Amino acid sequence: MRQAGAYSGLLCGGVSGRTGPHSLPLARIKKIMKNSGEDVKMISGEAPIIFSKACELFIEELTRRSWIMAIQGKRRTLHKEDLASAVIATDIFDFLITLVSSSESHAVGGATNVMEVETIDCS
Amino acid sequence: MMDNVGGSSSNIAENSGIIREQDRLLPIANVGKIMKQILPPNAKISKESKETMQECVSEFISFVTSEASEKCRKERRKTVNGDDICWALGSLGFDDYAEPLRRYLQRYREQELDRANNPPKRG
Repeated sequence: MRQAGAYSGLLCGGVSGRTGPHSLPLARIKKIMKNSGEDVKMISGEAPIIFSKACELFIEELTRRSWIMAIQGKRRTLHKEDLASAVIATDIFDFLITLVSSSESHAVGGATNVMEVETIDCS
Repeated sequence: MMDNVGGSSSNIAENSGIIREQDRLLPIANVGKIMKQILPPNAKISKESKETMQECVSEFISFVTSEASEKCRKERRKTVNGDDICWALGSLGFDDYAEPLRRYLQRYREQELDRANNPPKRG
């Protein structure tokens, strides 16, 4: 039996206290971890909990960067093309380029997306 | 067919009965809520962008988990834990996430210790 108040202390004054104990389902995170490779044998109970916070930070960062793209396009609605632009413009999101490009290419016949990609210093 | 960066092919097993579609992604409602919280009140988020974010987050989990489990393999450990996740984030360029998550992990462990030392009183 866990005390109802025990979890709220976990988030007081810390990272992202806006939501409940875990804003993302831990069981689902664990399942995705398990499916990431055959060599993922055992996962400690704390790993999905850490990931739930890591995923929040990831979603927040990618959303913020995508919003900048939407604003540059003078729009108030976030489109998937904005996510693609943010991924392409951000080094640490390199691993997603194929995913967002593949997602985008499914929109056959869509308007040509002329993306103004800022120059990245790769030194 | 979705491409999967990083060589892990197990995520491609859509509709195979092993991985159900809904188990491959985090729930769109949870993801959308986090996105909404980071944007200005008048911002709108297209469903397609939420779906793209769902894909990106799952890829992020797989990407980081693979890095963490590789470290475990080299160190001949079988269980991926919170420290491995934090290390992998730093290794993959998400240094900005690793530090707050280490603090979060420390607080989580302290909470667990407190819970173990102070069982909730009954009555």
